[in-house]
Amino acid sequence: MSLLDSYLHHAIAVFPSLLRGAVITVEVTTFAIFFGLILGTIAAFGKLSKRSVFKIPSSIYVDFIRGTPLFVQILIFYYGIPGLINGITGEVFRIDPIIAGIAVCSINSGAYNAEIVRAGIKSVDRGQMEAARSLGMTERQSMKEVIMPQAVRLIIPPLGNEFIALLKDSSLLAVISVHELSKNGMLYVSKTFAAFPAYISVALVYLALTMGISRVLNYIERRLGVSDRSE
Amino acid sequence: MIEVNNLHKSFGKLKVLKGITEKVKESEVVCVIGPSGSGKSTFLRCLNLLETPTSGDIWIDGEKITDSKVDINKIREEVGMVFQRFNLFPHMTALKNIALAPIKVRGLSEKEAYDRARALLKKVGLEDKADVYPNSLSGGQQQRVAIARALAMRPKVMLFDEPTSALDPEMVGEVLNVMKDLAKEGMTMVVVTHEMGFAREVGNRVLFMDEGIIVEKGTPQEIFYNAQSERTKSFLSKIL
Repeated sequence: MSLLDSYLHHAIAVFPSLLRGAVITVEVTTFAIFFGLILGTIAAFGKLSKRSVFKIPSSIYVDFIRGTPLFVQILIFYYGIPGLINGITGEVFRIDPIIAGIAVCSINSGAYNAEIVRAGIKSVDRGQMEAARSLGMTERQSMKEVIMPQAVRLIIPPLGNEFIALLKDSSLLAVISVHELSKNGMLYVSKTFAAFPAYISVALVYLALTMGISRVLNYIERRLGVSDRSE
Repeated sequence: MIEVNNLHKSFGKLKVLKGITEKVKESEVVCVIGPSGSGKSTFLRCLNLLETPTSGDIWIDGEKITDSKVDINKIREEVGMVFQRFNLFPHMTALKNIALAPIKVRGLSEKEAYDRARALLKKVGLEDKADVYPNSLSGGQQQRVAIARALAMRPKVMLFDEPTSALDPEMVGEVLNVMKDLAKEGMTMVVVTHEMGFAREVGNRVLFMDEGIIVEKGTPQEIFYNAQSERTKSFLSKIL
């Protein structure tokens, strides 16, 4: 059997388990995008708030998460915190790796999203808020009707990049044995030693997924661009 | 209609307004002139609390708006403002720009608000631009929509902050004409402007501001042809 034949054989053989892994990867990423957006929006408004009860915790959150590696955050969340709880209560505490993975990725992504959302809101011209307020609209109404619709258009493109980064970064969850795409590739290699075809296949599946996200985002951007013809 | 008593405003150490006292009667058109940095825009922005006065009191239609218990939003419903840079909402059509606040703030139904908005667009001569977005309008058209937007709240007072300063010269006239019509209808107006022609023709009174105080005030005739203060004279000699 030639090398090429052998590689093709492995690429086909690894595929079903990669598909199963891809489902987990997409699942984790989707949940993390959802919760990360919520966290990011809350933290963005916290950082924009004039009141330090909101501002300081938001800033600490964003700085801590952005200043430390995701890999280390995963280790802290999955091993460190259960260990701490164990130490305090004396009871064994376990987290499901997928739940832990979704939580860490959401928290991590939220910090980056916070900066994107904050920057988007800040870059809407100040005169817009003044005009809205001068008409008697409350701060909340002005934010909802005037500022956010304009900010969203500025926020979507960088947010898309963030989602793609998140999908790729979720491969780090292999370290806490979440059976996502990379982990399943590694498992296959550990049985067959066919590293090249297996990991190339893993890479290609990631590529397909990220291209899928790009497509969806382009569609959303185009939709917003048509209905919203501002400068 | 508007009463201002010893109004001060500082930004940090910079004192921008140093004691403004003035009354504007109902249906009066008061033009505020003066060099840039004289505090005239800040004075105007204090009248709807876009700037919070450092000290001093302001009454609008008998209500003390500088009272800390007052609902700022309620006050602003009665005080329309037109900005130098128009500040139309770029993600909404001209019609929606005008109808938004009446719906959200006054609680009008969409139909009532859009009817009112159409009538106002007609009034400013832009009835055919209802479904156009601001970036497809010329500067003069945008400013007319902005005036219509402020009027849609049926304010008691209209504030104009250099409404023609960002316009190409050939568009100044169309905006001033809308403002003249408004003055004729008896709207109380405070206009910060460099348009001396407008001040002379439409203004009941002119205030000349410099370095945070009202240096001189009087009828347009008095200010433009018989100014008493040297500062007023030197300013006018530069711009007339």
